[in-house]
Amino acid sequence: MNSLQTDRKTVIKKARIQAKRNLSGWILMFVPLLLFIMIVWRPLLMGISYSFFKLKGFTPTEFVGLQNFIDVITDTDFPQTLMNTVKYVVWSLVIGMPLPFLVAVMLNEMIHGKNFFRFTMYIPVIVPIIATSLIWKEIYLGGSGGLLNIALSYFGITPVDWLSNKNLVIPLIIVSMTWHGFGGTVIMYLATMQSINQELYEAARLDGAGLLTCVRHVMMPHMGGTVLLLAIKQIISVFSVTEQPLVMTGGGPNGASMSLGLTNYFYAFKYGQFEKSMALGVISFMFMLILTFIYFQVDKKLSD
Amino acid sequence: MKGFNDKTTGLINFSDLKHLRFKILYWSIFAVLVIITAVEVVPIIWIALSGFKTTAEMFSTPPTLLPKSIDFSIIPKVCSKVNFVNAFINSGIIIVGCWAFDIFMNGILGYVLSRIKPCGSKIVSTLIFWSMLLPGVSMVPLFITFVDVPFLHINMTGSFLPIWMMAGCNAFNVLLFRNFFNGIPMSYLEAARMDGCSEIVIFLRIIIPLSKPIIAVVSIFSVTGSWANFLWPYLLLGSTNFEPVAVKLYQISVDANIQENEFMLLTMLSIIPPGIMYCFFSKNIMGGLNMSGIKG
Repeated sequence: MNSLQTDRKTVIKKARIQAKRNLSGWILMFVPLLLFIMIVWRPLLMGISYSFFKLKGFTPTEFVGLQNFIDVITDTDFPQTLMNTVKYVVWSLVIGMPLPFLVAVMLNEMIHGKNFFRFTMYIPVIVPIIATSLIWKEIYLGGSGGLLNIALSYFGITPVDWLSNKNLVIPLIIVSMTWHGFGGTVIMYLATMQSINQELYEAARLDGAGLLTCVRHVMMPHMGGTVLLLAIKQIISVFSVTEQPLVMTGGGPNGASMSLGLTNYFYAFKYGQFEKSMALGVISFMFMLILTFIYFQVDKKLSD
Repeated sequence: MKGFNDKTTGLINFSDLKHLRFKILYWSIFAVLVIITAVEVVPIIWIALSGFKTTAEMFSTPPTLLPKSIDFSIIPKVCSKVNFVNAFINSGIIIVGCWAFDIFMNGILGYVLSRIKPCGSKIVSTLIFWSMLLPGVSMVPLFITFVDVPFLHINMTGSFLPIWMMAGCNAFNVLLFRNFFNGIPMSYLEAARMDGCSEIVIFLRIIIPLSKPIIAVVSIFSVTGSWANFLWPYLLLGSTNFEPVAVKLYQISVDANIQENEFMLLTMLSIIPPGIMYCFFSKNIMGGLNMSGIKG
């Protein structure tokens, strides 16, 4: 009887502690969560729901169904913008993926100046994106003032107006982005590479494998996951590229470097077409959702 | 100089390097890395040097790579022309506010989700996890939020507050904090709770002193991040007196009154603060990259 009473007492005491914990937990979380609701989750839902309405100023007035989406898709520039965005992604994979990997493999071999190389390669990452874009705009500058034209003039090549070439403009922007992000990717690859057991290489070498075979059959299986994850992450970030074309070309020449992100920005803050901006946002969001889902799926598989 | 005998990492091992062809391979890799390093560094050096050119030198033919003389006295002149010092002060205010919001808001949320776990915290964790990689649907709803804040109905544009608040809800940092706090034994906290400490006291007195490494990492990324932050400061503070450096730089780049060489000088100045940070904290930054890892 007595023990039962004490049991009850401890149960009540535990429940009280638990209740107190819940209360203080939610009180502490209250302000940060309020920020999350106000800045992340509410705008997300707002954007999705408003995209089905006609807006007057900032208030929705009339439900128009899919009309905003139809307006966006039938916009004469939409096919080109979509193609451009795909081009951005493809070029970023072509230029931005293999190079850091190769450099990481090479850096992994170094015993001389390894820390120096790591230090200098990371420097561009700390240059703000806006400054990066402006620096590269100066490098690509037409006439004789740009660094690229100065360098080429030593080989007797006449100055080219680089960013006005509609076939080159996207790869050139990607080069500047790769320059900026390169160092961070190398460091991440390097960290994964250093976690590979050294004895695996030695064993492979003893069995007569060459260096390339080692890279292909010993290193790659370990690196595959990281490569894939970084690739998806890169696709997601390049998919919404906005600031770089805004600063370097303003979308030109003739819309050749317009991306979905920049179109979205222009709809909202240049033309004041908020409905279209939100509808385009929802369309991009769908792509992102799929990519993010794939990312987490891959991540989960790798953790197992 | 280290000898090849010390080489214990990588594919090429020290016994390979006794052969000439591996030695050639090794040093050619070294040469390639030197070239790549040059590509990474030369644009910055070029901008820095071009800033000191005179206008005549900028447009001389054939073009020159280096300025004739480096005269530091032009720096204050150019700065006062565009009120650049004011932009630096604004950036400083933004950085301090963003840092405080980043550490306290995300830190407290991470702590609650990790060590207090009130009922419902699982759902909150999942929501935050999902908002980590998803960008907002569009800039418009967030902009509307700041123009007309819900319930309060005040206009926050033209003040620093929205920028700070945005730093206060960084899903990635919440998860970073949470994962770090998961490593702090519950028994520490139970003991403090038994002694009657409230949760906020526990957070300030026990958790924060224990989590210096993670605070250092988040701080460094927070400071460099808010220095580089462009789009939202541009939308909310553009054309006011509160423009930070990144916004000011963009305004200058489209300003016809500013000469090319003056602009390059200002670009160089805008890189100096994060550059100094990097020189001091490069170890923490690289360590932080590995810590945050790819998994988040």
